[in-house]
Amino acid sequence: MSVPTDLKFTKEHEWVRIEGDTATFGISDHAQEALGDLVFVELPEVGRNIDAGEAYGVIESVKAVSDVYAPVGGEVIEINETLESEADLVNSDAYGAGWIIKVKISDNNADTDLMNPEEYTEFLND
Amino acid sequence: MLMVKKQWQQHLQPTANKVSDLLKTPLFDAHVALGGKIVPFAGYELPVQYKDGALKEYTAVRDGEAGIFDITHMGQVRVEGVDALKFLQYVTTNDVSKLVDGQVQYSALLNEQGTFIDDITTYKINDEAYYLCINAANRLKDVTHLNAEAANFDVSVTDESDETTLLALQGAKAQAALQTIADFDLEAIGYYKFARGKIASAGGIISRTGYTGEDGFEIYIPNSIAVEVWDALLAQGAVPIGLAARDMLRTEMGYALYGHEISDAVTPVEAKLMWITKLAKGDFIGKQAVETRKEEGAQKRLIALKLTGRGIPREHYKVFVDGVESGEVTSGMHSPLAGGGVAVAYVKPEHVTDGTLTVEIRGKQIEAERTTTPFVRSNVRR
Repeated sequence: MSVPTDLKFTKEHEWVRIEGDTATFGISDHAQEALGDLVFVELPEVGRNIDAGEAYGVIESVKAVSDVYAPVGGEVIEINETLESEADLVNSDAYGAGWIIKVKISDNNADTDLMNPEEYTEFLND
Repeated sequence: MLMVKKQWQQHLQPTANKVSDLLKTPLFDAHVALGGKIVPFAGYELPVQYKDGALKEYTAVRDGEAGIFDITHMGQVRVEGVDALKFLQYVTTNDVSKLVDGQVQYSALLNEQGTFIDDITTYKINDEAYYLCINAANRLKDVTHLNAEAANFDVSVTDESDETTLLALQGAKAQAALQTIADFDLEAIGYYKFARGKIASAGGIISRTGYTGEDGFEIYIPNSIAVEVWDALLAQGAVPIGLAARDMLRTEMGYALYGHEISDAVTPVEAKLMWITKLAKGDFIGKQAVETRKEEGAQKRLIALKLTGRGIPREHYKVFVDGVESGEVTSGMHSPLAGGGVAVAYVKPEHVTDGTLTVEIRGKQIEAERTTTPFVRSNVRR
């Protein structure tokens, strides 16, 4: 799967799309592939403040339970409720319909530690 | 966050901690060629899933296809001799005298404490020849135990595991697919019955048994024809199924798995397996301890539950009754067919029927209700 060029990545295989002061979070295609079929997603409450690096939700595949970590800090402004009944959207469209939450960014230097798509691809190949 | 493999590594035998110690089945290359994601399991390198994923594999078996499973890691032991029946009556829990030639019986090996060494199936070939199918992780323990006990009987115990490939073919299309390579009539094989004869280019055993709740077969063949049989069944449209879907299918049926519902810490009284423990058949190893446990009462009992709230009840999650901890989940899953989280769990005996159930998931109490197994309809042929 081609990686959209407007995303940034963490070493924990989360992606973030930053548009103005809004950030959308998801997990990478590599991550969904490694986890296998996802069957359950636990989302945070809208309005919750999360720090960069904080576990903000849980995704469960057939056999594994995994925390998902915030690439940047902020206040949760929207959650992808569709995932509560269709967790497999993360498998089928990790960078699109499988987005997890949106936050209002609280930190101006939020994305300094993140990788661009080329760096992430290189990181995966190492 | 990537911890997929970790869930499976707990099944490793202590002797097989390094990748180099792991065994491969004759079908290893076939699994890799099919995009199998290989993990260590019970001392073997086996596919946890193939390229389309566990859910599609599960669906193929439940929705009328035929799924093919490489379960060669399981062990086979031949028991022969004039004392074969006497020996098996003494070392297994079920009543072997009830078997007719060509019949299979679910049973168990207990120790003197009445707890499980293993759960097994016993195949009766004739009065002086039987065949046992045992769990991979317990193989050395079982064979050592059987050999020690055999010293007091006129029997031979032969571990044939290394020479035997075991496949399961499960699902509505299993019989039609398998009939194309079996030289004998599969329709004539009833549930928990078996037949021997020519399969592909060699001989083997086919039983109408399985671990999925669907109609289907288990196929014992020499390693020399493993690839031939596997390829022939794939050519008939069989869908390869990995360990993850296999576990989903068995959990949905509420079938016990050694190391989960049963272990050397529980007796058949706790594990709801008194139906395979025949106290009236005469003396057998563990009988006295089981009788004592039955009289004194179990300290915990298995129940089946379904979450009414959202979540997946997983192994070792705590179960509460009326807000007080009562036990833990032994096997649990998100059941696509039951439409939610289902589990079997040990709870205190007084909570088998009474009190409000909750499962603790990440610190929260999620409500559950008691139910019965199987969690979804079984399609085995009765």
